[in-house]
Amino acid sequence: MPALFKQTTRVILPVAILLATLAVLGASVDDAQSFALQAAEPYVKEGFQVREDYWGGDLASGEPKAVKQQLFKGNEYWFWLGTEVEKASVSVHIYDSEGKLVEQPDSWQKGHFAGAHIIPPSTGTYFIIVKIEQSPEERTHWALVYGFR
Amino acid sequence: MISFVKLFKLTVIAMVGLTLSTRAAEAPQRIDVKKLSKRVDDVVVPLPNEVFGALNKLGGVNWKEYVRSGKGSNFTERPRIALLLGTVIADGFIAVQAEDAPTVKDIGQRVLGLAKGIGVGNSITPHAKAITEAADKRNWNGVRQELDRTQNSVQQAMNEVHDEKLSHLVSLGGWLRGTEVLTAVVNKRYSEDGAELLHQPDLLTYFEDRLRAMPEFNLKLLQDIQAALGEVRPLIDVGEARISAQSVKRINEITTRLDEAIVTKAQ
Repeated sequence: MPALFKQTTRVILPVAILLATLAVLGASVDDAQSFALQAAEPYVKEGFQVREDYWGGDLASGEPKAVKQQLFKGNEYWFWLGTEVEKASVSVHIYDSEGKLVEQPDSWQKGHFAGAHIIPPSTGTYFIIVKIEQSPEERTHWALVYGFR
Repeated sequence: MISFVKLFKLTVIAMVGLTLSTRAAEAPQRIDVKKLSKRVDDVVVPLPNEVFGALNKLGGVNWKEYVRSGKGSNFTERPRIALLLGTVIADGFIAVQAEDAPTVKDIGQRVLGLAKGIGVGNSITPHAKAITEAADKRNWNGVRQELDRTQNSVQQAMNEVHDEKLSHLVSLGGWLRGTEVLTAVVNKRYSEDGAELLHQPDLLTYFEDRLRAMPEFNLKLLQDIQAALGEVRPLIDVGEARISAQSVKRINEITTRLDEAIVTKAQ
């Protein structure tokens, strides 16, 4: 019986830990998404359609992450970044395929929210660079959403 | 008492410190994108209505010409259903551009049927209902949002059961139909700005890579699409040069041929 218990524990425990970790991870990225959507909210009233899809994960402070994005000349885009870690500060910036900063001057950074605005000068690939500037956490969840009109 | 020199030094140090901290928060004007290679996520596939919106701003598009509402064929192979599903969702966005409520409602039902065929119908039922309701109210932004939600739910449901490859085919089907309509519109009234909307080389690479990673499907249609994307590449990957009217016409022929193959049974 103890042997059976030991064996069962050996199988179940790692699975339980994995599931618990995944649940925590999933919840946190989802939380980060809800903050990114919160940042997007005022722009919906201005006619921006916010995509359902989002991009997210976790990053250490100072570590950048790039998302490649196809943008179309004629549209206007906003990218919003958020994290559930309220004491963190985050940033998002937009570069063209040559690595030149191309965002509008009204792009902003406010604690655990940030927004970057672009009216693409040409159709093509752009790089959206997200960064956790500061955070009390070792790794901080982030989520990026975007809208266009 | 602090001497003037000491005070001057302190002021300079404070100003330099302040400048550096402000700069640290500012974004660099230039970055080396090649150095990002290990930190770059795949290109994001735009929704068909992103390109339609940009096209619309160029003016003069009679969207009714491109509306399609036929029931289409029924398939049993899941990759074919996935491709068709993406195409039909793109048709939904076209019907919204044309503000054609009956077609939008038909497409909502068609999407539901295809999603059931692929085993993800449950996640689509509320969206199909919402599409019908929004179309009845002629709430076009609402329909656009629901179509986006539909595609997202379908793909999430597929990803949850590790059918990511089918999820990529949904995106591919939508992109092909969107490109077919984009080129048809620009072909009719060529403009450099319209043709420039085809400048999507990274998306092409993305789809080529995805298709290469699904040899197990072993479908002639997928092989044809892969070969066709190879034909499209030199026509749109032109760097700073403009995409010619001739190239637009050729891409339209290619995507029309592929679209016919996706929606009809003979493959």
